[in-house]
Amino acid sequence: MTWKVIGKGLPKIDSISKVTGEAQYTVDLKLPGMLYGNIFRSPLPHAKIKSINTSKAEELQGVHAVITAKDVPLNKFSFFQWLADKTILCSDKVRYLGDEVAAVAAVDEETALEALSLIKVEYEPLPAVFDAEEAMKPGAPLIHDKEKNIGFHVERLFGDPDKAFEECDYICEDRYVTGQVSHCCLEVSNCIVKWDSSGRLTIWTNTQAPHTQRQEIARILGIPIRNVRIINSTMGGGFGSKLVIDMKLPIAAILSKKTGRPVRIENSRAEEFSTAKTRYGYTIYVKTGAKKDGRLWAREMKVIGDNGAYHDKGPATLNFSSMMFGTLYNIPNIRYEGNLVYTNKQMGTAFRGFGNPQIAFACETQIDVLANKTGMDPLELRLRNANQSDQMTFCGAEITSCGMKECMEAAARAIGWEEKRRGKGLRGVGLANMVHTGAGGRFYGYNAADAFIKLSDDGTVALITPAQDMGQGSHTVMAQIVAEELGVNLEDINVISNDTDLTPYDLGSWGSRTTFMNGNAVLDAARNTKKEIITVASEMLEANPDDIILEGGRVFVKGSSDQYSFSELADYAINKRGVPISGKGRFVDKLPSGYTIKEGFAKNIPTFAFGTQAAEVEIDEETGEVKVLKVVAAHETGTTINTLMAEGQIEGSVVQGIGYALMEGLTLKNGKVINDGFIDYKIPTFGDIPEIETILIETNDPHGPFGAKGIGEPGLVPTAPAIANAIFNAVGIMIKELPITPEKILKALKEKKGG
Amino acid sequence: MSGAGAEKSLTGEAFMHMIKLKVNGHVQELGVKSHQTLLEVLRGPLELTGVKEGCGLGECGACTVLMDGKPVNSCLVLALEADGSEILTIEGLAQVGKLHYVQKAFVKEGAIQCGFCTPGMVMATVGLLQENPNSSQEEIKEGLRGNLCRCTGYVKIIKAVEAAVEMMREGEQT
Repeated sequence: MTWKVIGKGLPKIDSISKVTGEAQYTVDLKLPGMLYGNIFRSPLPHAKIKSINTSKAEELQGVHAVITAKDVPLNKFSFFQWLADKTILCSDKVRYLGDEVAAVAAVDEETALEALSLIKVEYEPLPAVFDAEEAMKPGAPLIHDKEKNIGFHVERLFGDPDKAFEECDYICEDRYVTGQVSHCCLEVSNCIVKWDSSGRLTIWTNTQAPHTQRQEIARILGIPIRNVRIINSTMGGGFGSKLVIDMKLPIAAILSKKTGRPVRIENSRAEEFSTAKTRYGYTIYVKTGAKKDGRLWAREMKVIGDNGAYHDKGPATLNFSSMMFGTLYNIPNIRYEGNLVYTNKQMGTAFRGFGNPQIAFACETQIDVLANKTGMDPLELRLRNANQSDQMTFCGAEITSCGMKECMEAAARAIGWEEKRRGKGLRGVGLANMVHTGAGGRFYGYNAADAFIKLSDDGTVALITPAQDMGQGSHTVMAQIVAEELGVNLEDINVISNDTDLTPYDLGSWGSRTTFMNGNAVLDAARNTKKEIITVASEMLEANPDDIILEGGRVFVKGSSDQYSFSELADYAINKRGVPISGKGRFVDKLPSGYTIKEGFAKNIPTFAFGTQAAEVEIDEETGEVKVLKVVAAHETGTTINTLMAEGQIEGSVVQGIGYALMEGLTLKNGKVINDGFIDYKIPTFGDIPEIETILIETNDPHGPFGAKGIGEPGLVPTAPAIANAIFNAVGIMIKELPITPEKILKALKEKKGG
Repeated sequence: MSGAGAEKSLTGEAFMHMIKLKVNGHVQELGVKSHQTLLEVLRGPLELTGVKEGCGLGECGACTVLMDGKPVNSCLVLALEADGSEILTIEGLAQVGKLHYVQKAFVKEGAIQCGFCTPGMVMATVGLLQENPNSSQEEIKEGLRGNLCRCTGYVKIIKAVEAAVEMMREGEQT
């Protein structure tokens, strides 16, 4: 198939506005009369609030409002409302260091900060718990008024693992730990909220899911959904951090209502590190059993997820982990148990990979330990257990397109597996597989998207899609789909996506779903627009509709010199025929028969994306430092819509994965995050990146737009285990706790020598 | 910033210090507080919001501008220290709608995702290439080390800077 726009490495359509500084982010907006809000946060990880005195703050000149729990609705809220456990401001108790207690609105940031310093709160400290396994034990401090700290529990069983383990020739059992890591979007979380006199709330914020956040705002404030409008701007990163509201939105709303003025609240970078939601930390127990020939026969996993002080996306994260655990290899006997446990720490939320990087680290490093036991090459062991296209797995996953084997072979070839695996000094190579959704999920009981197109009277195309572009480039993907279908140039398409009053309802940009879901809806809208264009064009050209060609922004009949531009066509449609041209598009992902969310398990995933990464590392035995020399990332894209952007997604993911593997982790001391800036919380810089080779494997998904599936998240999933396996290959130690710091390497090397 | 008025102060409160800056070719005279940073003045009264704040502590490079031709973290420079200096921000880089070759290279090579680090990254690159027009890959990595990007993994930024070096060699003018 030859396409004109699909599959090309085209610059993002918003590149010019971003490279000139014209792009407006929410932090760049100002409204007339705008006040500056700030949040008074708990200085203790767990305490009763005895009294709050705000009188001095209220008296300060320039302060327009000070609010505490008595000023806000106290209905409890959570993303899953059946697990509601958090109020807008704490009334009786604080549950993590940073919990919201009071807030101010003032004429400028300085005055707001000064007002915060004048608020006096008396606390009665309570014993706190910071480790999820400790928090599960009897006698642990209870964080909510519940019998235990386990906030959510899930179990899954396929086959008979107990019996199957007895039939195995090789068994490995290990414990893995991954910590809380920060999204580190360069634009901090922020908003401006205006509660107008008609009772309507307009919120300008950086969000990945404006429509569901709109519902959340209405729910937490106890106001009708129709009273809420959310407007997005250019976004400075998302990575999952901006799916569910955080309390600054309703706090700003109440402050605006009280003052009658728009109120901005913006995290400081330190707040972003120490109070914003994180990736869930996991403690993972895995047991894997294989037969003599390397066939994976049984596997069980116990996850203890660190929920932090309140619920957010944790239950969904634990469930998603279970689905990926079940699907990575087609193992007949599996058991999964997940416990989500409250601790006195900042909350977890979605983060690129959504519970998958944690379990992939455990599962894929254990495969290498297992391979070592069996004497097999870990690549060979993986190849023997590879999934294939058109396969129904034991846990019910319907795998349509699958390039797992191709990804493994491509990655191994590019890293020089055969030769480098033998090792050279302190160098080694390792690889790891991954599976992820390539199309979001059916977790709401459905999975659908809409889109609208209009041909403007000037011949340009306006596309209205709810797909949020947080930097990953979805606007460009959507525009390419329209350009391909309508035969217009990319620059003739305007993408509008930023206003809940305008865009159709949508679940948001998460789960690598926009290319597949919104892309399909946009393609449908383009096809319907094309039908109208052809009707008009056949009238103008006096030709058979079947003979009309759309190309280069023009319509014509093959072999004829008669042609009209889109602007002539639009003018004719509007002014001669009196009927403008437009198209509506919809994509409804068909649910499998007998599907339910609860029992659906891996059937919740419309299509899977497989991938393999191989890493080469060098260890410094003196310092314990790991230098990543090269990463090969072979990922399937279905069909690549934009090579430049697909590579960009994978490269960015790999580097986040290197951070996850070797550098990143929030460090707490008595509940306080001590690395709350980029100096102490290290993310990869220019100096930390290895050579990265990206290989795009095309598998042509039967249901994706032009055969495409999502590639936003997969690249982060296998990086950490690939690096850990390379370290194992280099020096024979397997580090089972992230991040793999020089201290851990030195300790393990010392133990190895000593033992 | 033409028309912003070189003569009159944009804020006129007490205990303000008057400073004079030449920003993107235009002279600006304005009152600043002694603790105000150059970044605050650029984003605040001068409304140059292309200059980004990522951390406010000199840790991320998003606020990089050229001060008398040298890249600085504008969040670490007091507005008073900048008195009398010439400032170039991302807004002043493209000339009458024509992109600077560094900007062109960033667009072409796909070095931009969310774009929040981009203005600082571009200005740091312009500074780097003024200092060392033939920067090697290692020199690029070293020179831009103070600029963080969370989206791209830096790969395409390095390619863009290398492309800019090449464009400059071939005589591309801004």
